[in-house]
Amino acid sequence: MCLAIPMKITAIDGFNAHCEAKGVERDVSLFMMQNDTVEIGDFVMVHVGYAIEKMTPQDARSAWELFDEALGTADIPLTSGDEHV
Amino acid sequence: MSLTAQQWLGRIRDLELPGKVRIMNVCGGHERAITMAGLRGALPANIELIPGPGCPVCVCPEEDVYQAMQLALHEDIILAAFGDMLRVPVNLPKRAVRSLEQARAAGADIRAVASPTEAMGLARDNPKRPVVFFAAGFETTTAPVAAMLAEGVPDNLSVLLSGRLTWPAVAMLLASEDAGFQALIAPGHVSTVMGAEEWEFVVRDYGIPAAVAGFTPVSLLAAMYSTLRQVREGRRFLDNCYPEVVHAGGNRSAQRCLAETLDVVDANWRGVGVIPASGFALKPRLAAHNARELYPSYEDPARKHSGEMPAGCDCSRVVLGKIYPNECKLYGLACTPRSPIGPCMVSDEGACRIWWAGGVRERKAPAVA
Ligand code: SF4
Repeated sequence: MCLAIPMKITAIDGFNAHCEAKGVERDVSLFMMQNDTVEIGDFVMVHVGYAIEKMTPQDARSAWELFDEALGTADIPLTSGDEHV
Repeated sequence: MSLTAQQWLGRIRDLELPGKVRIMNVCGGHERAITMAGLRGALPANIELIPGPGCPVCVCPEEDVYQAMQLALHEDIILAAFGDMLRVPVNLPKRAVRSLEQARAAGADIRAVASPTEAMGLARDNPKRPVVFFAAGFETTTAPVAAMLAEGVPDNLSVLLSGRLTWPAVAMLLASEDAGFQALIAPGHVSTVMGAEEWEFVVRDYGIPAAVAGFTPVSLLAAMYSTLRQVREGRRFLDNCYPEVVHAGGNRSAQRCLAETLDVVDANWRGVGVIPASGFALKPRLAAHNARELYPSYEDPARKHSGEMPAGCDCSRVVLGKIYPNECKLYGLACTPRSPIGPCMVSDEGACRIWWAGGVRERKAPAVA
């Protein structure tokens, strides 16, 4: 449950955002981003469905690269239980 | 100019350290990144990397898992829980229903969720049925639970909260006779939420160098180098090697959600005991959403080994960084991810599971009896 993933915001409706990361789409809450201005196109670090911080596109991309590597070698599934991400 | 992992390793190898240095990490994500990248093998032999209390599933009280299971079995509710919790066995005889997964197979309505918003969705989609969200986790997970409560939840949703703060466990270790480490890698996303400042006590009160790290080998190695250089030079400060998402003061909005909805309370850590001011509980004004208030306790005083780790399982010492996972006598023998005995082999955050997944198959004779 502790895995946080950078995602790109593709739509915003109030505190709800739609986000995308490497083809995976998720609804993400912006409720904890109230001290920041968050816009479509921004990258956020997402943990259990909540954005916890903004980040630069470069930092987001290097984190994604790491996940690719980790997923290529690990037998720890990113999902455990059912749809748990 | 940023250095590559190889360059950081080179710098670390070039440091002339006064002796053996043990660096503790307190985050399952860090342990996973360290193990998967093979950093232990790449470092000089006098540097040891120890996984510490970094697995919220592992330290979640056995009584809480038991209570969640009994609620799901005996009350007409939907129980929502993070997927990691479903396979954690409680201390009941082998043939009894001993995990949420088995309770679900026995007919209980238990759903794995990946987010508090999913638990909220379940409650909205099933307005006639109470939904209990069993939420274990550290600050990074508990803040979203607090945000959910702050935003307002449906009447039929309550929370069985097992939220924990990470730093008090480290403080407890440091205050003990033998902390067993000389440097600390502080957790990245906990610091994103709470602010790196939370870890300043490690340096200030105990003179232990500390650095916040992210989850890439580069960030982890930079943090290790920082603490090792501090050891070598006798200077101590809290370094932030994860400036990408760890900002001064942390996420104030998240902290406000926590402060508005939850109190910090003394809390029991499985295998460790009660640590003062280390847990979260719903504020009294949210009693209508507190599953601990709404439902009876199903704990049976006669239940054997309630609260304990399973017999023979050394998770408590693994969690406290006293032994490595493969020093447990069950590691890889009776206990594997396929048939886990303790929570440290169940959870993706558990050191035993991470080591097994990382390919550690040989067992090690315990260094300390
Ligand atoms: S190997 Fe299994 S039994 Fe041993 S400490 Fe880890 S989880 Fe517990």
